[in-house]
Amino acid sequence: MAERNEARIAWQGSQIKEGSRPEGRPFWAGTKEGKLLLPTGPDGTPFWYPRAYAKGNLGEVTWTESKGEGTVYTYSIHYLGPPGFSKKGDPPHVIALVDLDEGVRVMTNLVRDEDGYPDIDPDTVRIGQRVRVVFDEVSEDYTLPRFTPVA
Amino acid sequence: MSVREATPDVAEARRMLRKGIVIAGVGETEQGILKDRGSFDLLAEATKLTLDDAGITLAEVDGMVTAFSFVEHTLMHATTFCDYLGFHPGYFASVAVGGATAPLMAVQAALAIDAGLAEVVLCVRGDNTRSGISSSGMIAQAREMTQGEFEWPYGVTTIGGYGLLAQRYMHEYNVPQEALAAVVVTQSEHGALKWNAMLRDVVTIEDVLNSRMIATPFHVLDCSLVNDGAAAFLVTTADRAKSMKTKPVYIAGIGEGYSHQYISQAQSVDSVRDGLGRAGRRAMEVAGITPDDLDVAEIYDSFSFTPLIALEGFGICGKGEAGDWVLEGNAKLGGKLPMNTAGGLIRQAHLGAMHHIVEAALQLRGEADDTARGGGNHQVPDAKLAITNGSGGILAATSAIVLSSEPPSA
Repeated sequence: MAERNEARIAWQGSQIKEGSRPEGRPFWAGTKEGKLLLPTGPDGTPFWYPRAYAKGNLGEVTWTESKGEGTVYTYSIHYLGPPGFSKKGDPPHVIALVDLDEGVRVMTNLVRDEDGYPDIDPDTVRIGQRVRVVFDEVSEDYTLPRFTPVA
Repeated sequence: MSVREATPDVAEARRMLRKGIVIAGVGETEQGILKDRGSFDLLAEATKLTLDDAGITLAEVDGMVTAFSFVEHTLMHATTFCDYLGFHPGYFASVAVGGATAPLMAVQAALAIDAGLAEVVLCVRGDNTRSGISSSGMIAQAREMTQGEFEWPYGVTTIGGYGLLAQRYMHEYNVPQEALAAVVVTQSEHGALKWNAMLRDVVTIEDVLNSRMIATPFHVLDCSLVNDGAAAFLVTTADRAKSMKTKPVYIAGIGEGYSHQYISQAQSVDSVRDGLGRAGRRAMEVAGITPDDLDVAEIYDSFSFTPLIALEGFGICGKGEAGDWVLEGNAKLGGKLPMNTAGGLIRQAHLGAMHHIVEAALQLRGEADDTARGGGNHQVPDAKLAITNGSGGILAATSAIVLSSEPPSA
């Protein structure tokens, strides 16, 4: 198993906690159980990100489970992260927008394998690549979904 | 100039502007790393320079529009600054829409004047960002640009957020990295002529491509500056400006547009271009002009990619064609439509779009020759019409204004 970047993981856990809204709680409860739940509007259309009322129509929100597969819409290889996320000399990390097959676009990291780390080799990333979700427990409270190429 | 059919609400915007709302003075401080300067100190200097330019005193100002500070946070920026100056205008507002703030300050001033709330409105923005919070502090500001729970924790930066859409754009239209670099090269040639540009050296495409990669597709030279400095402009009526000493520049068109707040919410390159492009298309429609009428373009350039999608969204270039348009030299002084003629955010300084407005006004006044101040001549000969815009967030909220050396036709 690859070595985990503990400082980064602690930072991520703290930032999710700081940024979290009550509307996102069902999502984070799902990832703890290995499920990728999507907020969904009254007509059955999932949307992203979680809101108290369905995006664009103020309808009631239910939650549906994503199969966890999608396609890379775009990506940017970050050689510099926010202070706290990375420090000088860290390998680059990849931020991607992934279009889930259910029709929503999410921001994520692309990683090499099930272990969550290390980050994917930037040379292997391409737009249109098929990816699937992997779950990374970053703190007691939060398990962060990331994506890895479908073999 | 060709006039297009007015829809009813466009006619209302025209009604306001054709009474004659003008920029009657501008001022800009030194830009760069100014360790001994404070945020309000810089604002005060820009204010003084602008009043001197217009030939009026503080007592003649009755409206104040300011923005915000990254360094000296206050809930009431405009009145905090008024108190610092020691004056109490009858109208005040703080505008905070990120990089779209400067043109929206002009709009706010115009609305206040039209409503009779004020007659002479000072719009000022500046900060000691570089010395106060540093470049890494600005990188941490990405938290403000991203969704705090579902984007920011992944380690995204503002640079990389822009990079996401830039890479998709380059993929869809097969745009080479050189096209982005050409924006930097062009603006470096212009910045070399501007007296207060933070970077005065001329760079080549190779220099850009060989500079350190920050977040693909952006090298360090593709990025805008983090600096200390301030700039201001004075908005008033054409009638009131007659007793001031400067040639007034008319606000001929205004427009806003946006397609998303967070970059993961952007639907497509098309939707982003259409959303932010609406600002420029609308401003030109209100002004009754088309892109062919423009003489100067001061286009928001947070990163080298940013002007490309705006040029296309405004209808100045076709979809996917802005990169070639810049590579062909159209954006250079002497080219078809000189762009960012003082160097822009990438070479001159980053105060949102303040310098874009100041530079557009100076161009239309015929005062963009800085030879006497240690710079060079970057005047576009006989410039009459300019477009300028600002974008807040990651290619999100956008505001554009068209400026004219002549009164807008009725």
